[in-house]
Amino acid sequence: MFLRHLDLTTALRPSLHPDETLLFVQDAVGLYEGKYKIPEYQNGHAYLTSHRVCYVDNEEPRKNSVAVELKEVDRAELYAGFLKSSAKVTLYPKESKRSSYAASPRSSLQPSPTPGPDRQSSPLGLSSPTQNLANATWVCPICSFSNPVPSNFDVQTASARTVLPPCLTCGIKPPLVHVVKAALATMSNRTTSSVDNRTNGNDVPSGAVSTGVGSSVSTSSGRQCRRCTFINHPSLVSCEMCGAALTTAPDPRIERVGHGQRNESPGPSRELGDDNSPVESIKLSFRAGGEKIFHERLKGSLIQRKWLLQSDPMVPSASSVTPISDSRNAPQPGSSGTSTPDRAKLVGIAGLELRGQELRRNNEIVIGNAFEDLEALMTSAKEIIALAESFASQANISGNSEANAILTQSTSALGLVTTKDMLGSGSESLYLSELSRNLAEFLTDDTKGVLRKEGGIMSLVDLWAVFNRARGGVELISPSDFEKAAQLWDHLKLPVRLRRFRSGLLVVQGRDRTDNKTIAALLLWLRDLHDEPPEEEVPWDWRMYGRGVTVQEAAERFGWSVGVAAEELDMAEERGAVCREQALDGLRYWENWLVGIPGVDTFQTWI
Amino acid sequence: MSTTAASPHPTSIPPPPPPPSTNTAFPFPPHYHYPPFFSLQPTASTRLSQLHSWSTLIQSYCRHHRLFALSLVDALDSDLFWNRKLGKRLALRDAREVIAWMAGTEGGERAEWVDGTGKKGRGEEGRCWVYWRRPEEWAGLIEAWVDATAQRGTVLTLYELAEGDATRSQEFHGMDMELLQKSLQVLVKKGKAQIFGSDDQQGIKFF
Repeated sequence: MFLRHLDLTTALRPSLHPDETLLFVQDAVGLYEGKYKIPEYQNGHAYLTSHRVCYVDNEEPRKNSVAVELKEVDRAELYAGFLKSSAKVTLYPKESKRSSYAASPRSSLQPSPTPGPDRQSSPLGLSSPTQNLANATWVCPICSFSNPVPSNFDVQTASARTVLPPCLTCGIKPPLVHVVKAALATMSNRTTSSVDNRTNGNDVPSGAVSTGVGSSVSTSSGRQCRRCTFINHPSLVSCEMCGAALTTAPDPRIERVGHGQRNESPGPSRELGDDNSPVESIKLSFRAGGEKIFHERLKGSLIQRKWLLQSDPMVPSASSVTPISDSRNAPQPGSSGTSTPDRAKLVGIAGLELRGQELRRNNEIVIGNAFEDLEALMTSAKEIIALAESFASQANISGNSEANAILTQSTSALGLVTTKDMLGSGSESLYLSELSRNLAEFLTDDTKGVLRKEGGIMSLVDLWAVFNRARGGVELISPSDFEKAAQLWDHLKLPVRLRRFRSGLLVVQGRDRTDNKTIAALLLWLRDLHDEPPEEEVPWDWRMYGRGVTVQEAAERFGWSVGVAAEELDMAEERGAVCREQALDGLRYWENWLVGIPGVDTFQTWI
Repeated sequence: MSTTAASPHPTSIPPPPPPPSTNTAFPFPPHYHYPPFFSLQPTASTRLSQLHSWSTLIQSYCRHHRLFALSLVDALDSDLFWNRKLGKRLALRDAREVIAWMAGTEGGERAEWVDGTGKKGRGEEGRCWVYWRRPEEWAGLIEAWVDATAQRGTVLTLYELAEGDATRSQEFHGMDMELLQKSLQVLVKKGKAQIFGSDDQQGIKFF
């Protein structure tokens, strides 16, 4: 039960859930159950996602691929390896049966996890907003030093006259908006998390639930500072390096959803537990390194618990809307007070215009906030994506070009990409093979239909541009890596292939799309021209010969780019299916009547 | 439409022609009305087929009009290479290639450059023999006629052979003198005839 069957994409990578993101990939990994190797699961790729640990076998990917849901993982341990024994990461399943039945004795037996929630709830739940502000910091826009927000700073009364202390490092005074925003962000975070902790403390016996966070954070790694990642001594309450408070949960909102979800979970998990043969542990053996990063990121995702977000995607927007409206109002007091009654009075076109204006202003603020810093972008990702999509659809109405259509897809492609830092041991070949699979997925994805829109074939350069654009401008791929990855398609038996035309042009097309099919399509078209009279009078017998077509016509007809069309026609010519007419107005391609006598159906031979 | 274009292989001896009739129009093969026919194809197999077709067309055209040699530059302005209705013409370079191919073994040596190579720069811009009958074949025809008319041992002048009344029904009637010489040389080499006399007044004796 612990090991689940895994669905693979066309490119033989794990197919990810909607909100799942890929965190890490490592090749040359074997699986152990307990102390023993699992036969046939000894050489494969390990994929760490935000939700699962997946093993995909190299030899029999469809048959021997399994996944472990992170929500069923209690903890992970790293074994560094010794002499010939390779490094391993051990995953211990949550013992759902015992923990739910015997929650109280276990919690008393294992005191180590309990400090987690206690630590969180006791100081914060009682803390007042002013105390929160003592912990708030604003990041200097000049030198990016984290300054504390002055303790007497009050968001409500702050105005342009409020005296702000300059940055401690560079001495430049911050803009007021900046500090207000920082203060508000801290406040809203604290209040939500403290509320949650209180409810959590009431509803749930603390020992039963806290295992994941508590143990991994406190036992193995000390206490890592959320801001500067410095690992502090466990007894410290604020970071030695940057002074940030250490008591916060990784993301308070995630925590909140997490607690809500967990209240319901014991039901189904108990049923599962009934037929659960006790698996003590699953080990991943890293024969080519990468275990450290894998373990680190695994710990990270065990803490973050992204899978809990799935059930309640609306939380980020609900909590981040308030600071947005606040921050808008704060710097320009009075504007909010006037706008609402105005809107109520105005009707007709003026009202509509005003509404449009409001909408635009709101959009501006959302965007402005989100791009202020990376943290903000992360938290308001959903809003921004929604906004980007609406913009893109508007752009589509006017422009309606294919590139725009692909741009709209780019947001959904963000989560799908393999980047270099996701891969272990810095091995170039692993990066390339993952990139190659990535590309194949991108191409064959039906919802995007990248290949279909290009008539089933597109030049590698076009693909490179589209793919990099879809990556949203981050982690761009170098052309040489891209070409190398594309050349791996054949080797990896992926459903797309790279083709080199005679001229050296590289194109990408589906594996099922053969030259013969292309020729058959071309000839079918040329044959149709026998039946439709040419636009102007022609001196030859068009009923017999049809007419010649130019490269442009072929490109238009099949949705190819001109370069591709020229190459395809050249290919068909080389195969003897068509022949050329060099005329004053350019090159035209004809059905080949030079070979074979007119009347004999050349078309038949190509089907 | 055309019996002449139907035989694609140039090495086979074309069937006996209809009586010389320069006034009737030459029936062009269907390829002639097919625009790509006038662009030499880059693809080997298509090109080969196209060259065959051109070779056949040139031979049958020449036989129809009883042409024994072509001057390419002039011929390019004729119907042979210029389909005025289509507005298409074979380029000089392509025509040269066609003739060169015909002259080679692949084309069955159905043509021969008069000046030897047909290359540019030798002053002569591509005059060539078109062998719708090769010299050996002409020799065979003449020998057969001599046999049939029991003229072995007699002496005939070359003019008599080409223009005489006795040969009026024969295919080699009206033959180009130079080509006749070439053909008879074949017989001489085989030891079946002997040429004597000088310049204009040459005679031949068949053994």
